[in-house]
Amino acid sequence: MPNYVPWLLISPSIILLLTLIAFPLLFALKNSFYFWNLQMGPTPMGFVGFDNYKMALQGGFFLGALWNTVLMTVVGTAVEFMLGLMIALLLARQLKGMNVARALLIMPTTIAPIVVGFLFRYMYDPGGGLIPWLLTSVGIPIPAQGLLGSSSTALWAVLFADIWQWTPFFAIVLYAGLLSIPDDIIEAARLDRTPPLAMLWHIKMPLIKKTALIVVMLRFMQLFNTFDLIVVLTKGGPGASTRTLGYTLYQAGLVDFNIGLSSAMTWMMVIIVNAIIGLFVFFAFRDWD
Amino acid sequence: MVIVLMLVFIGPIVWFVLLAIRPTATAFTMPPVLVFEPTWDAIRYTFLDPGNNRPQLFNSVIIAAGAVLLNLPFSFPAAYALSRYKIRGRKNIMLWYLGLLMAPPVAFLIPYSILASSVGLKGTYFSMILICQTLTIPFSVWLMRSFIDEVPVEIEEAARVDGASTAAIMLRIVLPLVRPGIIVTSMFAFVFSWNNAAFPLVLANRSTTTLPVGTLQYFGTAGVTWGFIAVAAVAAMIPPMLIFLALDRYVVRGLTFGSVKG
Repeated sequence: MPNYVPWLLISPSIILLLTLIAFPLLFALKNSFYFWNLQMGPTPMGFVGFDNYKMALQGGFFLGALWNTVLMTVVGTAVEFMLGLMIALLLARQLKGMNVARALLIMPTTIAPIVVGFLFRYMYDPGGGLIPWLLTSVGIPIPAQGLLGSSSTALWAVLFADIWQWTPFFAIVLYAGLLSIPDDIIEAARLDRTPPLAMLWHIKMPLIKKTALIVVMLRFMQLFNTFDLIVVLTKGGPGASTRTLGYTLYQAGLVDFNIGLSSAMTWMMVIIVNAIIGLFVFFAFRDWD
Repeated sequence: MVIVLMLVFIGPIVWFVLLAIRPTATAFTMPPVLVFEPTWDAIRYTFLDPGNNRPQLFNSVIIAAGAVLLNLPFSFPAAYALSRYKIRGRKNIMLWYLGLLMAPPVAFLIPYSILASSVGLKGTYFSMILICQTLTIPFSVWLMRSFIDEVPVEIEEAARVDGASTAAIMLRIVLPLVRPGIIVTSMFAFVFSWNNAAFPLVLANRSTTTLPVGTLQYFGTAGVTWGFIAVAAVAAMIPPMLIFLALDRYVVRGLTFGSVKG
């Protein structure tokens, strides 16, 4: 069989994707070395070398956003995974009504993140939202500016919305992974009187490793790229407390119209994202088919 | 435990949906007013008054359906090749597609938006349908590949002995056999494109904006009109919910790209 056939079939999709990605990224690379304010004119206004990169790194502008992003990403993925695993183990006990519960549980995950943003703005509303009311009625004090309005709680409030949306996703996927483990393996371990925690850690987890890795990696990167939730909930504020990398690029480019600065940060983010994906692929997918 | 789970994960959705028919006076009274006389004003205003959300609903449908149609001719042949041929670097190609799904959308959105306006494509359905492919093609290749993997190779070999060409085998034999897979993949691609706010937020203009992004317009200068937001937001969340309920059997497989056969 001629060996160009598979490439003939694959290449249209690769060419289309490369075009959609390479053009904007090369365009951004060029712009990152120019001063260009979109409000002043439709074309770049002068070569400035690495000034845009320096500007981004000055005053902790980029690094502050990077820190918020890393914090949100690591905490969010870890919490969603652990809560999801606990719910998955509960669902796997096959009690009455579990099937209905499982089918309904996916609902938060189906909602567009921007709509989840609105849902939580309503729930967090300092003038009578459900969450501040619940918290104060059980005696937990909340900041006078509201949970989204105070720089000490805003990032966690945004993260909570994300955790609410994606914990069920982990739960359903890990539950399905657990179900796919053959019964005889579990039976054999049970006969050996394996304690429940050891059973989970040494027998079940290795068997669902591949699934768990894909979802952890996907969610990690989605959280790293978070910005539409921020657009609705906080717009990066108060102060810079919820500015993520994604929102920072968006703000520099489409709110402040500073295309040069936005492009420089785009490239810094692209390099970071690729480094993370590279690490994931290198460590997690080496022994993969 | 199950009750607690439902209260935590489904409760907020129900609470938000009720906002769409809640009289404004009771929207923010605490303790919550559970019994109220429903008002249909917001729904009537959003759907029946001309010049409002009907175009946005329409825009959402056009963009999501367009993204699905453009997606299939690109991703099905690629998925077929990656399933059937032992080509060198297959694993790397698969990982490359997966990596694209993790690319930061904002990173290429701003340059894309400037490029699109310089060639006169900004604000068009086409520009948004096209950019959706960066999400839908990689996803579809992974998912469809797992469906094609399950079609026995023997059927194809029999056809080949009878003299069928590769194209004929792919289109006349495999395509009909993986029709459920095509449908599932298309529905997922539809939901992804429907729910995506990043692309229309940056690329759409006033007349091509989609339903989820359209909800932002109700954050007016004169305050937030919660009833209208709720109506538009609920309309935006119903189609994906129904599709996921219909896909129940396939949801896990879709969301994990087939790494758990479900």
